[in-house]
Amino acid sequence: MTEMFAYEFIQRAFVAGIFIAILASISGTFIVLKRYSLMSETLAHSALVGVAVGLVAGYNPLWVAVIVAVLSAWLIEYLRSNFSLYSDSILSIILSGSLALAVVIVSLGGAFNNSLFSYLFGSILSVSNEDVVTIAIVGTPALALLLLFSKELYFITYDEEVAKTSGIKVKLLNFLLVTVVAIIIALSIRVVGSLLIGALMVIPTSAALQYRVGFKNTILISLFFALFSVVFGMSLSFYFSLPSGATIVLTVISLFILSLIVNKK
Amino acid sequence: MSLTFKVPIFDVKNLSFRVRGVDILSQISLEIFHGEYIAIIGPNGGGKTTLIRMLLGLEKPSSGEVRLFGKKLKNFKEWYKIGFVPQRASLVDENFPATVEDIVKMGRVANRGIFTSFSNEDTKIVEDAMLKMDIVDLKEKMVGTLSGGQRQRVMIARALASKPEILILDEPNTGVDMVSQQRFYKLLAKLNKEEKITIVFITHDIGVIADDIGRLFTINQKATICNDPKETLSCEDVSTLYGIDAHLIHNHKHEDHVC
Repeated sequence: MTEMFAYEFIQRAFVAGIFIAILASISGTFIVLKRYSLMSETLAHSALVGVAVGLVAGYNPLWVAVIVAVLSAWLIEYLRSNFSLYSDSILSIILSGSLALAVVIVSLGGAFNNSLFSYLFGSILSVSNEDVVTIAIVGTPALALLLLFSKELYFITYDEEVAKTSGIKVKLLNFLLVTVVAIIIALSIRVVGSLLIGALMVIPTSAALQYRVGFKNTILISLFFALFSVVFGMSLSFYFSLPSGATIVLTVISLFILSLIVNKK
Repeated sequence: MSLTFKVPIFDVKNLSFRVRGVDILSQISLEIFHGEYIAIIGPNGGGKTTLIRMLLGLEKPSSGEVRLFGKKLKNFKEWYKIGFVPQRASLVDENFPATVEDIVKMGRVANRGIFTSFSNEDTKIVEDAMLKMDIVDLKEKMVGTLSGGQRQRVMIARALASKPEILILDEPNTGVDMVSQQRFYKLLAKLNKEEKITIVFITHDIGVIADDIGRLFTINQKATICNDPKETLSCEDVSTLYGIDAHLIHNHKHEDHVC
């Protein structure tokens, strides 16, 4: 296994992948407990619009993806609070709308090629130095914010109204959470791909929840599953020339099934 | 009951709540003072929960005003002084990843600053709250595995961990067996007498309320305040309030008449 680390692109992919496993699993715990799982899928598709704009206009697709995903997260929260629409309908509308918009932009720009394919399914070959730097620069404060407010966010996921009557700024923290999640999703699409990042956020936590342990241990198990899936999945990707997002997701799903069987009631 | 403090904890004036032209609550005025033990009763849909939600700022009144410790709700910042246990408290999601201690610790979250973690003092307060609710033995247990009565005590311990001056409980006995209910009312009375915590709770258990409570609010769109429920609450009142026939049952133990 060690010989693959002789390649610089593999080193880059692993650094980015490990960073993303940490970000996705920790933010994923809050997302799953808040019943926001579908939101990660929607934001991943919105990030794709950013990628399309970046590819066509010649900007760094990752940065544009971060901006578009954050704007999309804010739009979802705005629609949720100000209109009488079902949450899952809003997510579904924005998901398909984003995908349609991304395809139109890419088709008009004539950039419907391999480069877009790598953003859909993830590619360890395509992680550049610039991507690693972007993930580190944007991902570190995102992680710091999550950890800083983890107790408050945990309280909110448990009971939003009780948290509010305890003096916790629920609206502000919800807003912060969706912003951070949007950033993490956009950063992840290089390695995992926009069609598959939702899985890396949701499945490690769903698997960890099967062990019925306290909050801290749930996060730790989820983190371990995400890290293992990324490392194992990227190795599979390297040796069998498969899209990394797919191998990572298949690994994490295997862990999920194993967790279900081990913890069957 | 002697009302020694001039500024009430809650000062409610002409509070109304209207939904699509229908009055849910109209012109409610009441005060709640330090050290009181108050029960709120009334039929389903009569507006009890809506009233509590407006008192806590979770629902915006159509008109009227709520003052909390003398301040308007929007200017009130000391929320740790309020301990709220909502209706669904004992019906927690069974898969939620929380030990009893995790839940009780939530009561300390709002008290500490952003950049500080839990201190030794926080840990001591959490232990103390668990001790008062007799759940220390359960602290490592997952909350989803507990009985309704145990969960109820965990939720109250969580509220107590913020060191509140007032505890507000909305039908806390939903999904709790009779023995646990009696134990629960004893605990509430003890908190009120020994810890001087003001207690306000919504209940359907009309039989239980006569013993310990100081005042009774009956809420059915309007509020009727009964300052001496043992003397003045009659079965006619209850029948009128609920729109059903209530019958007297003689309670030999306490020599009280309950409905």
